[in-house]
Amino acid sequence: MTMKLSTDPSAATLLPIAKKEGISTVWDRHRAMQPQCGFGQLGVCCRICWKGPCRIDPFGDGPQRGICGADADTIVARNVIRMIAAGAAGHSEHGRHVALALQGVAEGRLPAYQIRDEVKLRAVAAKLDICTEGQDIPAIAAAVAKATLEDFQNQDHDAPCNWIEATLTKKRLERLQALHVLPHNIDAVITQIMGRTLVGCDADPVNLILGGIKGALADFDGMCLAIELSDALFGTPSPVITAANLGVIKPDAVNIAVHGHNPLLSEVVCEVAGQMDEEARKAGAKDGINIVGICCTGNEVMVRHGIPLAANYLSQELALVTGAVDAMVVDVQCIMPSVSEIGACFHTAVITTMAENKIPGATHVDFKEETALENARRIVATAIEAYKRRDPRRVNIPDFKQTAIVGFGVESVVGALATLNAEDPLQPLIENIANGNIRGIALFAGCNSTQVAQDSSFVTMAKKLAANNVLMLATGCGAGSFAKHGLMTQEATLEYAGDSLKAVMTAIGTSAGLNGPLPLVLHMGSCVDNSRAVQVAVAVADKLGVDLDQLPLVASAPEAMSEKAVAIGTWSVALGIPTHLGTMPQVTGSAKVTELLTQTAKDLLGGYFLVELDPNLAADKLLEVIEERRKGLGI
Amino acid sequence: MKRQRENAIVFADPECCLGCHGCEMACAVAHSGTGLHQAALAGLTLRPRNRVVAAGGVMMPVQCRQCEDAPCAAACPTGAMLQESGQVGVREKNCVGCKVCVMVCPFGAISVKHEGTDPENCRTNGGIARKCDLCAGTGRDVPACVEACPTKALTLVDLEEYRQTLIEARAAELAQSLQHLKSRKARI
Ligand code: SF4
Ligand code: SF4
Ligand code: SF4
Repeated sequence: MTMKLSTDPSAATLLPIAKKEGISTVWDRHRAMQPQCGFGQLGVCCRICWKGPCRIDPFGDGPQRGICGADADTIVARNVIRMIAAGAAGHSEHGRHVALALQGVAEGRLPAYQIRDEVKLRAVAAKLDICTEGQDIPAIAAAVAKATLEDFQNQDHDAPCNWIEATLTKKRLERLQALHVLPHNIDAVITQIMGRTLVGCDADPVNLILGGIKGALADFDGMCLAIELSDALFGTPSPVITAANLGVIKPDAVNIAVHGHNPLLSEVVCEVAGQMDEEARKAGAKDGINIVGICCTGNEVMVRHGIPLAANYLSQELALVTGAVDAMVVDVQCIMPSVSEIGACFHTAVITTMAENKIPGATHVDFKEETALENARRIVATAIEAYKRRDPRRVNIPDFKQTAIVGFGVESVVGALATLNAEDPLQPLIENIANGNIRGIALFAGCNSTQVAQDSSFVTMAKKLAANNVLMLATGCGAGSFAKHGLMTQEATLEYAGDSLKAVMTAIGTSAGLNGPLPLVLHMGSCVDNSRAVQVAVAVADKLGVDLDQLPLVASAPEAMSEKAVAIGTWSVALGIPTHLGTMPQVTGSAKVTELLTQTAKDLLGGYFLVELDPNLAADKLLEVIEERRKGLGI
Repeated sequence: MKRQRENAIVFADPECCLGCHGCEMACAVAHSGTGLHQAALAGLTLRPRNRVVAAGGVMMPVQCRQCEDAPCAAACPTGAMLQESGQVGVREKNCVGCKVCVMVCPFGAISVKHEGTDPENCRTNGGIARKCDLCAGTGRDVPACVEACPTKALTLVDLEEYRQTLIEARAAELAQSLQHLKSRKARI
């Protein structure tokens, strides 16, 4: 049973222990939930008013309209764009948080933070068309923060958000403008989705989906600004060698797992942990403090500081079952509410930190940027206290970890390419795509879902695409999967890459001083970092004078589940990228919406959703798409 | 002679039913020969063989009781309805869709509407009698509706077992009272 639920070897070790201890995990709960409601799966259940709930009989015999008169197309469209709004809200709240922190730093109000990457800050300013001549760093930071916060404040519907305007190709902007889907204000667009999906408002499925696309592009805007400003504050990722999987937890250290998404907290926790190492040793932990990452907070500190990754989404509970995590510090998104209960089965302190993200049973430390250092100290002290209560007889750390070379932002990819051609760094990449050594580029994104044996679809697809000479980038829990399964190593490139891809990766890696090829899959960061991949694509498209929908570029979320994934997938389509989903989206109850997303989108935007649950077939289909695109470019 | 058993039935407990229609959908899909999403995408018309109703202050699905002396089988002019393998079966190829069974079934458990695309200007409307067949022929151990119900309101009842449980429970009660009686007698 275990192996069908997860292909992560740690799960096979720890699930029997969980069972013995009577701890139920996400897989137990998944089983208990079977079979799941068909109406919900098809997206035809409406609960947006209290005359409801209403559900449409998808098979034509029962009700075809809700009590208000909404049909399946309207209901499905409303449901899915509300998911997009939620996803966009999550990412843009993260972005706003970072932007306000940048503003605070500019005004000298936040002693815990500084501008760690001035070069990046200047680059961002240039990108946003902010004049930096004769300005000092705080002034530039203030101007960048102001321009960024405008994306939450602008009331001119015809003026697109600053970040999206600065980020996409001209052709793409024109195409999106013509469809009236360029967001002008992230908050407004999200509010608009909630407003138009209220009972008795927008009932036109096409209009609704276009509204959703606008929301998804607002999500993209929020992601772009979140990561670029994070780079300025915390440093731009560069390649670093680290490790992944639960074996990174150390038996003789105070283990603090940072979990969630936002680097504002985890960065300070890492820093303070360094200062408090001695206290941990005094408490008996001879290896001091060991910080490990979970989910995207994990990815953030992994790509910036080489902090090892313990788990991706589905194995977050297993980290606790090791009995060796002394504190799990969480911020926002993808935190299973079950962690507090499982933490309580051990000595683990589960600590929530965000005012709007609390979990019953957890300890709450109210994190504020102004008092970040003090908050972080309290968190680390709590972890050390908990360590003293750890029962060594209940410690079971699986002996699994894989090396992972991570931290490939745009700057480091371009930097590595520049070692081949300093004048024109993109030239070697373009040349190799044109001559077919690299057939195309695939971006793997998205979550884990209990609908798929954990990590299996990611790994299966990547191996097949690699053998067919496709260059792969990954973010979020997808990146976590690859890291845990050893696909972010040079050995993986030698083992799985097709001959021509191997040669290119070796040439770049060697000249960039890696003493061998680049890793098989390039880790770009957390799920907000998907916009990094877009930047690479935009740079290539601009150089070739084409738009994104002409590039041999595909995206895939083989194990998607979160509303954030719905938003990301939708903007990916809106940017012209064929986007694979390996889990069934909850839209099939409407033929019209399904057609819009999988076919009509192709004409409107160039990108479209491609749903294929079988990872082998999915890889084949993506390879076909890549070849079709190559043909279109005449290469 | 073969040992006689009553036909099994799907029993709905109105105390537990939430009226979610999950059992209907599961029934429709189970008899479609394909999966939920595939059927929806293909635009198939599917009809459940059960119907959730609200009446008398309760909710529950109603479906064929697999009558022992089935009015539908008695009324059927073509012999399409008959007792077979522990249920009242329909020989679909013998059914002409005359709806006599619909009229005589005390439970409204039969429909003869066709499934599939609308047959205009055809010799046949394509409708044949359809009713709960306890999922015979769908290759499952437990009927789809029973499996789907989130509140476990549905059970497949084997009357023999059911009766046995009842009898044993009552006998146990009797045994207890008997003991009481005995001890009272002893005291007197
Ligand atoms: S909005 Fe319409 S379809 Fe939705 S619950 Fe209310 S009445 Fe039903
Ligand atoms: S599935 Fe169960 S709860 Fe839902 S309508 Fe049928 S019997 Fe009632
Ligand atoms: S269809 Fe009606 S009459 Fe025929 S066996 Fe079922 S309940 Fe009895």
